[in-house]
Amino acid sequence: MSTPQPAGPGAPPDPPPGILARDLHRSFGTVRAVAGVDLTVRRGSVTALVGPNGSGKTTLLLILAGLLAPDHGSVLVAGADPGSSATARSRVGWMPDAFGTWDSLTAVEVLTTMAGAYRLPAGQGRARAWELLRTVHLDDLAAAPAHTLSRGQKQRLGMARALINSPEVLLLDEPASGLDPRSRIEMRSLLRGLAAAGTTVLISSHVLAELDEMVDDAVFLSRGRTVSSEQLRVGVTERRWRLRTLDGPALQRWASAARVTLHPDTDAPDGAGSVLVDLTDDAAAAALLAAAVGAGVPVVSLAPVSGRLEQAYLSLDTERR
Amino acid sequence: MTTFDVPLEPGHPLDPAPPGPDTSARAISWQGVRTIAVLELRQRIRSTRWRVALAVWFALVGLVSILIGGAFAALGGDPTWSFGLVLMFVLGLGLVVAPTLASTAINGDRNAGTLAILQVTLLSPADIAVGKLLAGWAAALAFLAVSLPFLIWSALLGGTTVAGFFLSIVVLALLLGVVCAIGLGFSALTARTAGSSVLTYVAVASLTVISLILFALTAPLVTTTEEVEVYGVSEEAMAGDQTYECETFTAQREVTHTERTWWLLAINPFVILADTGAQPGLDPRDSGPFEAIRSATNQVRSGPPDVHQECWLDSAPPPTVDDAAPIWPWGLAANLLLGAVGLAVAIRRLRVPYRTLPGGTRVA
Ligand SMILES: Nc1ncnc2c1ncn2[C@@H]1O[C@H](COP(=O)(O)OP(=O)(O)OP(=O)(O)O)[C@@H](O)[C@H]1O
Ligand SMILES: [Mg+2]
Repeated sequence: MSTPQPAGPGAPPDPPPGILARDLHRSFGTVRAVAGVDLTVRRGSVTALVGPNGSGKTTLLLILAGLLAPDHGSVLVAGADPGSSATARSRVGWMPDAFGTWDSLTAVEVLTTMAGAYRLPAGQGRARAWELLRTVHLDDLAAAPAHTLSRGQKQRLGMARALINSPEVLLLDEPASGLDPRSRIEMRSLLRGLAAAGTTVLISSHVLAELDEMVDDAVFLSRGRTVSSEQLRVGVTERRWRLRTLDGPALQRWASAARVTLHPDTDAPDGAGSVLVDLTDDAAAAALLAAAVGAGVPVVSLAPVSGRLEQAYLSLDTERR
Repeated sequence: MTTFDVPLEPGHPLDPAPPGPDTSARAISWQGVRTIAVLELRQRIRSTRWRVALAVWFALVGLVSILIGGAFAALGGDPTWSFGLVLMFVLGLGLVVAPTLASTAINGDRNAGTLAILQVTLLSPADIAVGKLLAGWAAALAFLAVSLPFLIWSALLGGTTVAGFFLSIVVLALLLGVVCAIGLGFSALTARTAGSSVLTYVAVASLTVISLILFALTAPLVTTTEEVEVYGVSEEAMAGDQTYECETFTAQREVTHTERTWWLLAINPFVILADTGAQPGLDPRDSGPFEAIRSATNQVRSGPPDVHQECWLDSAPPPTVDDAAPIWPWGLAANLLLGAVGLAVAIRRLRVPYRTLPGGTRVA
């Protein structure tokens, strides 16, 4: 669960992590796709897997899903080795970044087939398939051939397919690509709901703003290595905020009187009316806003310049391949 | 900015997997096989291509059967050839169609991105391979079922026995399954669907045509000049007086030891089917194609005779037909073995996690 447990004398020991990878390596010929990944994903958390193109995200997820054998290193997913254990397979859901759909199978048949592949009894599989179709809002397209679905609809069906076995660990490779804004929001709340119920979610994406609003932790990959693991929801992170006002000089006067350090905003289109300010947390932002407004500065907006993930990503020395 | 590194507990040993049904994913299960077979068959049955193919097949076999039956009726001949010809035609057509049914089953799915999503489930490699084989075989049997009316009709015209008819149909069904299994094996071995199709056709051609050519080409290799027993008029007798008489003597003769290469014929599906359908005890010179093929193969199998018949004085005795030792069990066993190899290769190559990937492919 994502709620921290009180560490007392009688408290149970920390639950084992949902995903644990130690010193993973995997090469394809001369390409070192994964070259030293250490990864711990807390049970019941949503963790972002972020990295430039070719940094090994898909390869890492394949190893975690038990499809690729690592050259070196050890993996535990949901407490078992995904490469050799049926237990791990039954507990993992995997959604690849590129996948096909079977010709001429309807959406509901795709899901019942997957349920059969997970050895669910037929009746139970059908019930689960319909439940998931309703979850991803494809129930009115249940009888449509799956390959006639639109890209976003296929993506939603792929998500339902990854959930068919009620996995403890969910591995998602760019699941939001092709989704419309509403579907993205729904996916976000779906994943948060799953995490709240104890599912461990590892999600790779390039849309950091979107990840920002749903992930607890983030893992950054660069050239096949984990370069930083962060717990975003925990701890204080000083962020840069943009403050916009109608009266630039008035703001400057108030700032120098109140001893607030302002940075020039080089990206802003409206010049002096927009400045940057470093703040430790939301409370500091609220206090700053109240003080400025109280001093008569006509403030238009105060908002973070970039998402926490984006800021963290850009501050890392990651390289595109 | 403050970042918190998640503690990785480097010294902490990884907890072992809990004891559970961990071996079950490696074995074959009926539910898994059925899931895959139903999946494959559903896709086939719903495509219009498939219905068109069956209709064309029906029309083709019907046309040929009627032409064969009509030809015998018009010529007033003995219709002992009719079943043999129709069955050979169905086999030939089946050998053309069967490779398409399974030879892209695995690499086609891999290219379409629908293989890996099955491999991560509880399905074992054997489930997937056997399911795909059963589906391909069932499709091949559908073609056979469509031709059954004509096969029965031609069998009623003549040319086989009741036992021969049923044996032939069963063996034909098995041979089509073997071709599917070989195709499945190639589809697991090659990355491209075109490659596995071509290889499967080459394999079928090797069994039917190339084996025949090899048999002919290896004849000089197994031919030697030896001292053999000959029954005929000896050269001394020829040089002497006018009363020729046949006697047994030894002389130098070229002998072709086809008993060393007969298996090249025995693995031929056409030879196998001829052997199952042939009527026992008929003179191969005036009966159907089955009897002719069977007696030729039998002769080849027994190799050179103990005593070479060269007596042209009295009429030659009719060639004896050896019904006691049928060839088809050998040929069928060899073919089934090839099919088993194909299936085993497919199962092996479907195992995950992959250690090596075929060059230029991705898992997903
Ligand atoms: N099957 C393969 N054969 C050869 N090279 C491969 C294979 N799979 C991956 N690679 C290489 O490994 C590296 C990592 O690839 P991977 O697909 O894991 O990147 P990624 O982080 O998912 O990138 P993206 O953000 O573009 O999806 C790349 O350089 C890629 O070319
Ligand atoms: Mg990728």
